[in-house]
Amino acid sequence: MTQNNTLTRKAVVSRISRSVYFLILMGGALVMFVPFAWSLSTSLKPLSESLAYPPVWIPHIFDWSNYVKIWHLVPLAQWFANSAIAAVGVTLCNLVFDSMAGYALARLNFKGKRLLFIGVLAMLMVPFQAVMLPVYIILRYLHLLDNYYGLIVPLAVQAVGIFLMRQAFLNLPSDLEDAASIDGAGRFRTFWQLSVPLVVPSLLTLGLISFMLSWNNFLLPLLVANRQHLWTVPLGVVMFQQEYFVNWPYLMAAAVMTTVPVAVIFLVFQKWFVRGIATTGFR
Amino acid sequence: MTLPAVLVLFLFTLGPALYAFFLSLFSWSLLNKMHYVGLSNFAFIFASHLFWTAVWNTASFAFIVVPTQTLVALFIAVLLNQNLPARGFLRLAFFFPAVSSSAVISIIFMWIYNKFGILNGLLAVVGIHGPNWLANPLFALKSIMIMNIWTTSGYFMVVFLSGLQAIPQNIYDAAEMDGANSWQRFSRITVPLLKPTTFFVVIMGVIGTLQMFDQSFILSGGTGGPLHSTTTLVLLIYQYIFSYGKVGYGAAVTVILFAFTMIATLIVNRWLGKSIEY
Repeated sequence: MTQNNTLTRKAVVSRISRSVYFLILMGGALVMFVPFAWSLSTSLKPLSESLAYPPVWIPHIFDWSNYVKIWHLVPLAQWFANSAIAAVGVTLCNLVFDSMAGYALARLNFKGKRLLFIGVLAMLMVPFQAVMLPVYIILRYLHLLDNYYGLIVPLAVQAVGIFLMRQAFLNLPSDLEDAASIDGAGRFRTFWQLSVPLVVPSLLTLGLISFMLSWNNFLLPLLVANRQHLWTVPLGVVMFQQEYFVNWPYLMAAAVMTTVPVAVIFLVFQKWFVRGIATTGFR
Repeated sequence: MTLPAVLVLFLFTLGPALYAFFLSLFSWSLLNKMHYVGLSNFAFIFASHLFWTAVWNTASFAFIVVPTQTLVALFIAVLLNQNLPARGFLRLAFFFPAVSSSAVISIIFMWIYNKFGILNGLLAVVGIHGPNWLANPLFALKSIMIMNIWTTSGYFMVVFLSGLQAIPQNIYDAAEMDGANSWQRFSRITVPLLKPTTFFVVIMGVIGTLQMFDQSFILSGGTGGPLHSTTTLVLLIYQYIFSYGKVGYGAAVTVILFAFTMIATLIVNRWLGKSIEY
């Protein structure tokens, strides 16, 4: 009897605490959501309504014209194209180079391999911002300023990508490759035709990390792209803000349009993002 | 096979780090001829008020943001690790800001922090007359801190969540059998077993906050204002090259930033890194 009582009491307590947790989390999720909702709401207002104080939460009429006008006001299409070119370039380079290096570190034996791996680990600790000044000067020497290569080459290899791919190749059973080499396949052929197809999930994670790294990057385009026709979307939006800072509906329309592709990619591939964090701890 | 990777990493990560040491010994404006000046760039930097302001701003940013985001992330992760409805949705909602562009988030918050923006509108409802957040030297950096915590907590939450899921459930069951309440289970099991994850979160947090640039640059329009209240070390480096044309000074600050980052990492390592065995 008493045991039965404690059991039901426990169930009630657990139920109450779970509802409290749930309410706290929903409150938190609302805090995460409001800034995006507010930018969407502002983007649908005419300028006068956007500046009303106290602020109006929901626009009286949904005015989509800001989304149309901004394409004529600034070369937004060009910026989107630049962002896409840079992000695709960075992604492809990382897929090829990181997986090659990761494979070598996982499977090949060569002199200085340990040192090389320690070097890669050490470079995980050097963020791009910290080396901004020397990188800028090196890019200048290599004539990589004001062209697409400058937006791609500095991000073409990521230490974290090498690390991720090394882990992936280490997890493959090595007797498969031994069998292939006995059958007379060379190292490169084994790598491309046997090992790479087996690590596609890791490649997908790596691809997403690289794509986002480039797409969201602000500092590299700021250093590289002096001319407006080379700006990427994040840089363009910020520069646009400095020019049209009073026109928040335009800016928020641009912000929404920049965020939507990221949101779509994120929703489709969210599992892989989380997996990427679980294996490497990096975005 | 490693050659292309090694080449690029050397050219854009390790090489630049070494190159910064070299450049810090020269006086150069990018346009004139370099000449060797020994350590006088460092002497100038250490005597400069602006440098110490940037050090103070960067350090206080790290000191406030890292503990707060770590605790918030851990709190959300522990709650999310319960058997709750809509877990997938909630995880998504908290994680999303971390994958959005820092530039776009900065622009959105600039609008939120506007004198007549939504934040002051909300504060007015409860009778608080909000300041002009970003134009007030007392509030500008704090506003960026709040924005940064909002952005990165969700990312570290996912890191914690994967750490939590690696703790075997039967430890909790055994503790519950022995009569441990939920706080005891959290403090005696979760916290110690999460230590490697916490170590990672704090290290990445420290490195990230010490390199803060985008948010300061965007919210202050590149000036680090008002009254240098948002000038961080990386923003100062940027200004030394692009506003003042003093490559040597910028390189000297770069070297000092390396040293700070190294010291901070070592301290965190001392404090959290050791007892990973369990």
